[in-house]
Amino acid sequence: MTNAAKENKRGGFFKEEFGNPERRTAYYMVLPTLVTILVIAFFPIAYSILLSVTDSSLTDIGAFVGIQNYVDVFANGDFLGGLTNTVIFTVVSVFFEFVIGLTIALAINRAFRGRGLVRAAVLVPWAFPTAISAAMWRLMLQDEVGIIQYVANALGVISEPILNDRTLLLISCIVVDVWKTTPFMALLLLAGLQTIPGDVYEAARVDGANVMQRFFRITMPLLKPALLVALLFRTLDAWRMYDLFWVLSDRNLESLSTFVYKTVRISQLQFAEGNAAAVLIFLSAFAIAIFFIKGLGMQTSSED
Amino acid sequence: MTEEDRVARSAFGRGMSRRDFLKVSGAGLAGATLLGVAGCGGGGGGSQSGGPVEFTLSMAPDDSGVRQKQFDDFNKQNKGKYKVNYREVPSDTGQYFDQLRTEFQAGQTNIDLIGGDVIWPAQFAANGWILDLSDRFTQEEQKKFLEGPIEANTYEGAIYGIPWYTDAGLLYYRKDLLEKAGLEPPETWEELKQQAQQIMQQEGTENGFVFQGANYEGGVVDGLEYIWTHGGDVLPEGQSDKVIIDSPQSVSGLQMERSMIEDGISPQAVASYKEPESQGVFLRGDAVFCRNWPYMYALSADPEQSSIKQEQVGIAPLPKSQGNETFSGLGGWNFFINANSDPEKQDAAFAFAQFMTSPEQQKRSALEASLLPTRSALYEDQEIKNKVPVIALGREALNSSRPRPVSPYYSDMSLKMAEQFNESLKGNVSPEDAISTLQTELSDIVAQT
Amino acid sequence: MASATASGSGSGKTLNSVLFYVFLIGFVLVSVFPLIWIFKMSIITKRELFASPPTILPQTPTAESYGTIFSDPAFQKSLLNSTIIAGSTTVICLFLGAISAYAIARLRFRLKSPVMTLILAISFFPQVAIIAPLFIQFSQVGLINTYWSVIIADTVFALPLTVWLLVAFFRELPKDLEEAAKVDGATTIQAFRKVIVPLAAPGVFTTAILTFIFAWNDYLFANTFLFTEDTQPVTVVIPTFATQYTTDYAAQAAAAVVVTVPLVLLVLIFQRRIVSGLTAGAVKG
Repeated sequence: MTNAAKENKRGGFFKEEFGNPERRTAYYMVLPTLVTILVIAFFPIAYSILLSVTDSSLTDIGAFVGIQNYVDVFANGDFLGGLTNTVIFTVVSVFFEFVIGLTIALAINRAFRGRGLVRAAVLVPWAFPTAISAAMWRLMLQDEVGIIQYVANALGVISEPILNDRTLLLISCIVVDVWKTTPFMALLLLAGLQTIPGDVYEAARVDGANVMQRFFRITMPLLKPALLVALLFRTLDAWRMYDLFWVLSDRNLESLSTFVYKTVRISQLQFAEGNAAAVLIFLSAFAIAIFFIKGLGMQTSSED
Repeated sequence: MTEEDRVARSAFGRGMSRRDFLKVSGAGLAGATLLGVAGCGGGGGGSQSGGPVEFTLSMAPDDSGVRQKQFDDFNKQNKGKYKVNYREVPSDTGQYFDQLRTEFQAGQTNIDLIGGDVIWPAQFAANGWILDLSDRFTQEEQKKFLEGPIEANTYEGAIYGIPWYTDAGLLYYRKDLLEKAGLEPPETWEELKQQAQQIMQQEGTENGFVFQGANYEGGVVDGLEYIWTHGGDVLPEGQSDKVIIDSPQSVSGLQMERSMIEDGISPQAVASYKEPESQGVFLRGDAVFCRNWPYMYALSADPEQSSIKQEQVGIAPLPKSQGNETFSGLGGWNFFINANSDPEKQDAAFAFAQFMTSPEQQKRSALEASLLPTRSALYEDQEIKNKVPVIALGREALNSSRPRPVSPYYSDMSLKMAEQFNESLKGNVSPEDAISTLQTELSDIVAQT
Repeated sequence: MASATASGSGSGKTLNSVLFYVFLIGFVLVSVFPLIWIFKMSIITKRELFASPPTILPQTPTAESYGTIFSDPAFQKSLLNSTIIAGSTTVICLFLGAISAYAIARLRFRLKSPVMTLILAISFFPQVAIIAPLFIQFSQVGLINTYWSVIIADTVFALPLTVWLLVAFFRELPKDLEEAAKVDGATTIQAFRKVIVPLAAPGVFTTAILTFIFAWNDYLFANTFLFTEDTQPVTVVIPTFATQYTTDYAAQAAAAVVVTVPLVLLVLIFQRRIVSGLTAGAVKG
């Protein structure tokens, strides 16, 4: 194609898109949203990247230092600890949310009395602010008035104060996250299950497929779109978890997000390093999303 | 009005404490009344027209009410000359610090006079944000104040703040239990442990000693007290660019702290205790000894807060190790002047700081709000001694109070110390390793200068 | 699996349903137990709170803790702050989201797919990655420590949700009505305002609830941009009190209960809508 032809085509594109009143209106209608997200989300990300390759502080953009901040951050024990905790937290909590959520969805995928009540009951933990549920669970883990600490001591499972021990705190974070989001997972999967027509199962049964075969050959493939969406959002939420770690452990347990918060918001000296960590979280979150979309074949758009 | 009234006023504040670095008090209530008077915050100003010089004071909220009366008196005395506007700031010292830092960094603050924490002067001074007061606050005048607070406000030989009221770590003990066992308050940590063990056995008291061991600023103070009373220190006196924490003395300090848990004197949970938890355990009668700030004494008189009676509570300086001196972590609040304010506002701000720290006003704060004076002479005042017993009881500890390391990067140093002290207390790292890690980390931080 | 259990002999069926309901009750109990326990902590006396072993049922119920928190102006202010922040965010999101969603759902234009992708990409953003630059930008324009700082940040992160839900709802509406309106000479905007908006009201309402909950639950932005009790929402105030200032555990529990009551009510009343909204994206996508 010649340059002139390209030019012509581009001109044609603009003419077609903006010459037509309906299309022009459409652009005007999405413009405010686009401007908002560009200014408040995409621009700051670019800014973050800039800060992460300079020797900056909260007030001054410093000299260009290349990848030094990234090198520093990977030598930082707190960051590595946060990374480890975040990986464990994400994998374990999403796994349990998925398994338990799917079990529940399969079990309640039928008409029964009290369905509304069940739905309401399971929605309550989901609707809670994470920060408040973390504070609530902290009360239950506390060594003097905490019921969980008491029961654990009485059963002889745990002798030390739960809030003192990072491993126990990480387990607690996982438990709270599973408690809070499994219902959400179950509801999403239930909605997915309900789109699978019953006669598909009937036909399979006639063909002699047993329960397991039906589950793996029919349920899972048909559930896949809903499943992937739910898993992606849970994974990303777990990956960027801040409030649960911050509040439940009272700043004692590091995640990637708490590390960034500490370095850019509290420390005076680690600002640039913190921005490198921020950029890393951003990139890894996008890598996760792309893995789901490309690698697992998640459907992303619902074009008409 | 007494400390207990002040504390009881705020709802969340049942058991909430006034302490040096985590200044929290009733917030909104006092804020609302104060704001009423303050009118339009920092907006006012120009004195060109001959009106009074208005300046803006920032300070964490207070709900004793005495402060407002002092503001009114100052405005009345200086009618037509000066006028103070109050601006409410966060009660949490960390957040207050962040806010000031943000405003100074953006060059956008309207605050002329800062009522601030004792750990801030070096950080502010190094950035050129607050005024060197050496000319105004003379050596001679400084001599009338307690040594610790003056030292904390001194950075590189110059004075940057005027101490307003002070705080120091105290050893609280159960007077009744010690008397019954025929014991005197312990002078050394070893004695404390022996006495605690003896009483725990004889009386079945649940815990021997509780203190603040959590991973936060208060844990730093407690850890430093163990190090100081064993002869160690973080920075050499008067220097802020060299770290000397790596010493056998520091190690034995942390060993002593850790041994409190190992020997069963303190509960394991002490490693997650802040002031409220340790206060709760002691006032419920579940501990023989407790390290806390002066505020707790008033609470012990309040049956709402305390299952034990005030007569059962004694106060002593913190124990030391054999052959060393006792030291208490220093807290307290001070006045700093914004270096970039108009000179006439700086003058007005200084006049106000002088007013608030004058013997009369300090006495008033002591009597009505249980604030501990920074002027040595007031500790001889009979009326104060009678009406605010903790001031008399805590005198010795206050005299041996010591500031936390004076450094422009104190807040970063504090984060590191908080973490290592806490890890060592929990037994996750040995005291030796904690100290040598700190030597490296803190050296890196002070090298920034 | 599920359909397999639905058939079977009479006694097997009864046993099955008994097991099923036992399972169900267990599940519901686990979900609500922490809330019930916190509620219990909030209505007992301090003595009972520290009792060992803990009591199962409250021995001497008291509303004292509720008196405590409601007499605290800081707590009341934080409730108001949360309402202002979440309410404003919801209104702005609905306004921006509705016009964009209409264009995406109903109008034809070439860049629809990239635009939608761009908007949805925000939901992959880790919020924490932009707190530093936003902090600097907000400081420069004087928005730090104002409601606006959090409203703006919340709006951006709630927008994907709002747009996604509204697109799904708008698509369900019959097209004929607007066509008719346009034949009658109405412009695109008029068709949107007069026809779509009223018809879509239930969907918009559902979106509003979900956006409100989203904004109400924000902690990171509020904890980053707000310093004073004048502006801080409950999500910041309650954990701060809970971890730093007091051992009045009963009052903390009461505060948690009070904050969650509006949410529990919303959920109970609108559960059907909320579920349809939550699943709209995932299932139809």
